[in-house]
Amino acid sequence: MASVLETEYVGRRRPLFRLALVSSLLTVLTLGIYRFWMKTRLRRFYWSSIRPGGQPLEYVGEPMEKLLGFLIAVVFLAFYIGIVNLLLMFVSFSFFNTNLWAYALSFVGIVPIIFYARYRARRYILARTRWRGIRFGMDQGAWSYAWRALVHWLVTILSLGLLWPRMTFWLEKYRTDRTWFGSEKMQQGGRWQMLYRPYLVFLAGLVTVAIGGVVTFQGNVVAGGGLIVFGVLLTGYGLVHYRVHAFRLMTNTKNIGGIGFRSRPRPWRVLRVYSMGYGLAVLAIVALLTGLGVLFYMAILGGQPVGEDVDLTLIGDNVPWWVNTVFAMVTYFSLFILWGVLTHVLVTLPLARHYAETLEITAPAGLSGIKQRHRDDMEHAEGFAEALDVGAAI
Amino acid sequence: MSETVIRVGRSAPVLRSFADYLDGEQALVQRVELEIVETVRGPELVIRPPEAPEVRWPLDDIRVVPDQAGKDVLMLRLADDPVSRLLVSDEEARAIIRARCPNLHQRPPVKKRARLLAWSLGAVASVGLIIFVLVPLLSDRLAVFLPPEGEKALGDVTFEQIRTALSDNEFLPVAVCQGRSGDRALAVMQARLQGKLDLPYPVSLSVLDHKMVNAFTLPGGRVILFRGLIDAAETPDEVAAVLAHEVGHVVNRDPTRSALRSAGSIGVLGLLFGDFAGGTVVLFLLNRLIDATYSQDAEAAADAFAHQALADAGVPPSALATMFERLLEKGGDADGIVAHFQAHPKLGDRIRAARQADRLLEAPASPVLNDVQWKALQGICR
Repeated sequence: MASVLETEYVGRRRPLFRLALVSSLLTVLTLGIYRFWMKTRLRRFYWSSIRPGGQPLEYVGEPMEKLLGFLIAVVFLAFYIGIVNLLLMFVSFSFFNTNLWAYALSFVGIVPIIFYARYRARRYILARTRWRGIRFGMDQGAWSYAWRALVHWLVTILSLGLLWPRMTFWLEKYRTDRTWFGSEKMQQGGRWQMLYRPYLVFLAGLVTVAIGGVVTFQGNVVAGGGLIVFGVLLTGYGLVHYRVHAFRLMTNTKNIGGIGFRSRPRPWRVLRVYSMGYGLAVLAIVALLTGLGVLFYMAILGGQPVGEDVDLTLIGDNVPWWVNTVFAMVTYFSLFILWGVLTHVLVTLPLARHYAETLEITAPAGLSGIKQRHRDDMEHAEGFAEALDVGAAI
Repeated sequence: MSETVIRVGRSAPVLRSFADYLDGEQALVQRVELEIVETVRGPELVIRPPEAPEVRWPLDDIRVVPDQAGKDVLMLRLADDPVSRLLVSDEEARAIIRARCPNLHQRPPVKKRARLLAWSLGAVASVGLIIFVLVPLLSDRLAVFLPPEGEKALGDVTFEQIRTALSDNEFLPVAVCQGRSGDRALAVMQARLQGKLDLPYPVSLSVLDHKMVNAFTLPGGRVILFRGLIDAAETPDEVAAVLAHEVGHVVNRDPTRSALRSAGSIGVLGLLFGDFAGGTVVLFLLNRLIDATYSQDAEAAADAFAHQALADAGVPPSALATMFERLLEKGGDADGIVAHFQAHPKLGDRIRAARQADRLLEAPASPVLNDVQWKALQGICR
């Protein structure tokens, strides 16, 4: 076996575009029920695009088990969300004369469940991922994870964000140390301090914004404004810089039975994917809106120019209400479908490709000793994550 | 004499090729030899690993793993074996397998059908129970305990939202009409209707400068009439009739109950539909549908209240019927699906009920405003 396994990426935009478009159309037409199938099919595509050492990953999750998990979550969460929200609204208006407290309390109440759901979703996804025919897996521990995540967030907020890298490290370590590939357990090495250097760019951005604020306050608006603009841009880049390097450092210090990883993603490349991808998606949306606007204008005014004799407030009055409704619905849904499909093709796929192509597996000889692990049934699948909309990016 | 097997028709293409095999027990990729052989049980694919016993897959039971990104590899599995996989990259071999395996694209049967059905019913029952029983019950009980200040705050928030929503210009909410003499005329009408009624809080009445023929009530006793309604009315009694109906909602605290209800039910609906295409429009329509079914009773109760209040004030309740008839002329009665999205029960029934309510009058009726006051009210938005 070669001393290093490189990762190939074979996903192409055109088939992904077709898959995403067809499945989002079906999702809208089935009032959202098809979304479980859509998610499954997209994951099959994305997983199989990644081929470490030439062998594709396989996603074996089933739409039906997602539906079942979702239904189970609904039974429990419907009660919580319906009754608790109503009570909170009542309490909030009784004592504070505003609904802001209700929203805030409702959010605080749901936060632990969001962390819980995230861990469960990751466990489900790993349990349904295979490489070389061997299952990944994750130990139970979602409530313990939710509790840790709460404390880490509290510490991070109290430290004004200075201890963010510490949270990144310990939460990722918690998840990694419970991850399995077949019979081998994964381990997270390294120290949290190693994440601090890439974090400095982000901090520098924040400090620049603060200095800009002070300078503006003291009267030098031009210099202060310039500093603020520069600081905001630096903070934005710093965020991407931190996330990319944190991923790199955390990946390079993971190992699984002596098998290691070498990852080299580049922040500028990731930033380019984000800005180009979202930029193009916005352009496409604007083009669609313009096209629909022209169409509507032609249909209603018969193409006659808008002169002073046309009362704009009367537009729509002579059109049957259902034409307006259908037109509004078609516009609304095409915007959402187009946006979803384009972000898959222009952002998610190029990002996945970049992270995959810059990943190597070192010392793969250890693979020969790895045996299959039992199937994790997970009847709840990722139901809670699905219901609360906090699932993985895909 | 040697035996010869004579094939009839075109001979099947011979498959002799290599592929990658994953046995689902070890993380090893085995380079295997493939061959299709004819047996008494039917044609089978023989998979020969270099150092392990051969494996046989009946062609009928071979399935392709769907939605794979790389078109250069055909990933195959055996119908009832969840783990082992065969990855064929040789182009000719792929073509032969596609041609000879009849059930490549057959879907696996749905497992746990009964559990799926049970939890579906459970989810429907739980959502139904919460939206149609628990949430209404709870909001009906709680609405009475909400302090008047809280209710007012709730009404004020909603009032501003509605003014903005109705306006064509986001930054310029629909104007509240305030003509001095018009306000005074409204106050006269209100005083005459309220009489000695026991209200939880004073009714605060405003007119919005909008062409809609409508009126509504918000939590905290805030009643809103649209200019369109005053324009459509031919006598002040008709406006008074609508006002009496809205005061009925205030007395029954309907808007407060409805606000608490939507706080509960919209979250549950959001849970059910997820981020399906943004979902906001769907959520809004569904919430209207649910709210409309609750409010049929509330509308009937407000009508009954209006009949009595009008009769007590010496205004013929049939004025309400006249107003409804104008509405009918303007928009027509809604039937079918549209009716569900409208909070008001069939207008015909309500017109009949208002006409019959004239017998509640104990003294002869007199107009609620004199001509001068009526003119002032009609000009309140000018």
